Amino acid sequence: MSVLVPLYGFVEGDTIGLIVLAHDDDPIARVVSRLQHSARWRVAKFEDARAFHGDRPLDASQTVAEAGLSALERIDVRRAGGSPDAA
Amino acid sequence: MLPREAWLDLARKLEWTFRYVPESELFPSDPSGTTRVPPGEWRRWEEPFKTSYREYVAAQHEKERAVRAVREAVGRPEHQRRIPRPWLNANKFHGAALPLAEFAAAIGNLRAGRFARDSAWRTMALFGAMDELRHTEIPLLLYHELVKWDPQFDWVHRFYHTNNWVAIAARHLFDELLLAANPIELAIGTNLVFETGFTNLQFVALSGLARDAGDPMFETMVKSIQTDEARHAQIGRSVLEILVESDRAYAQRLVDKWFWRTWHLFSVLTGFSMDYLTPLSARRASFKEFVEEWIVTQFLEVLEAHGLERPWYWDTFLTSLDHYHHMVYASAYTYRATVWFDLVVPGPEERAWLADKYPASWPALAPVWERVDAGWRESDPDLDFAAHGTAIVTFCDTCQLVLCEGTPARNTAQTLVRGERKYIFCSEPCRWIFEQEPERYAGHLDVVKRVLAGEAPGNLTAILTQYFGLTQETWGRDVERGRYDWLDRPAKPRPPQRSAAEAPDERQP
Repeated sequence: MSVLVPLYGFVEGDTIGLIVLAHDDDPIARVVSRLQHSARWRVAKFEDARAFHGDRPLDASQTVAEAGLSALERIDVRRAGGSPDAA
Repeated sequence: MLPREAWLDLARKLEWTFRYVPESELFPSDPSGTTRVPPGEWRRWEEPFKTSYREYVAAQHEKERAVRAVREAVGRPEHQRRIPRPWLNANKFHGAALPLAEFAAAIGNLRAGRFARDSAWRTMALFGAMDELRHTEIPLLLYHELVKWDPQFDWVHRFYHTNNWVAIAARHLFDELLLAANPIELAIGTNLVFETGFTNLQFVALSGLARDAGDPMFETMVKSIQTDEARHAQIGRSVLEILVESDRAYAQRLVDKWFWRTWHLFSVLTGFSMDYLTPLSARRASFKEFVEEWIVTQFLEVLEAHGLERPWYWDTFLTSLDHYHHMVYASAYTYRATVWFDLVVPGPEERAWLADKYPASWPALAPVWERVDAGWRESDPDLDFAAHGTAIVTFCDTCQLVLCEGTPARNTAQTLVRGERKYIFCSEPCRWIFEQEPERYAGHLDVVKRVLAGEAPGNLTAILTQYFGLTQETWGRDVERGRYDWLDRPAKPRPPQRSAAEAPDERQP
């Protein structure tokens, strides 16, 4: 049975942080997609989105548990190329 | 009759030597405050502008008459209908934020009226308490007439009694500053930082904008309050003068703490009003320019005059000045149903003005508003929830406001693990404030943690109605309901028209 892992999510270009109610068996790609969907009123979806935990890029195919994320940690969704001051 | 100078000191500064109780019982450390200032030093306390009770009552009577006159002249719904709609919503925001915060200030001043360490200070605090009761009553009186016309004005009284996210943030600040602080922290946080520095933004700058926006009632209300503030704000400088001589580090820490907390509050309250809700034709300067005049220049002069440094996070503050209220406003617009007043999309001319005033931040903010435009273009006017967020947003564990610090490219939120709990802060200064006194803040739950604990619903409509205290009649909408002249909507294909003979009779059930 999967476990709920609420995460703080920050999408590059957005003005506010959002909560994404992920599950530990969700792939990171799904978490990224949900965050971009939630932020769509302020930021257009970008195709080259990549998740980061601090400075560590997360593998999109890994699950939340495999990525070592626990509840109420911060992840960032950035463009793969990254804007100059996004890091 | 004795001349004023012969008796005034006896009325305002009546000290004697306590023989029946020790000083420590008379002024216990919790309610009186603990500093390195020797108790006898406080006897030097002097207020620059001295007044007597008789003079106070006479001056206040005149001010009350002016408020009553303007209420009679322009305080009815037919007058308010003439005010530009965005500005009317600045009224709803301020009207709600003021009264019960002022009432809390009355309690703080009454505590200082008992536990402050000098009799003249106590006398001034009592005048301050009476001022704050008046400031509670004025907005309640002025806006009450408007409730029957617009139910959002009911929030002038209702706001602080709700668990609306803005109310939680405001209570978190005012409970600490006004209800829990000792007279020394109250004097530095309220009289010095809040009233000497920031309220000038409201009561001088914003009252001028109100006049230009055609709102003499708001202008009179804030001017009437400001004349009181100017008098009791002097408590702060007099306390600071004595405090810095013996305990400069404590004075600096209090200034640094309350400057940041107050900045966030005013950034949202006044920043929204000046840069978004004031009609463009009435804007004389941007929020940033007013802050540069009243805070960056004048308040820093006050600090320097007393040998204090600017707050350690000054560079962060300057970045915040360019970004924070814009980021909160754009976020609040896309969650407008969570507040009790309506918000407006800045039009092309307003965006050009904002781009001119905020060259460092607007290029990153303009795309956000282009997305908002796109949302409205794809939906019909009046369908407010068609362009509205539904995901849970995030809140800072110190200021309790949304995590909107930094820039759109790099939000500065940072986490902290303490014991078994995880905390998140919008910024380095908010984290610093928390870590200075964790016992003060650690037990408080922000909105997200209340949702996760099952204390508040996670569904948007449920949290609006069951927790934030809003109803369909009062939750915030777009001021124009999405009907902007400048917003070109693509023509939608219409259903084929039928002839009159084919059309059903719509009068029939």
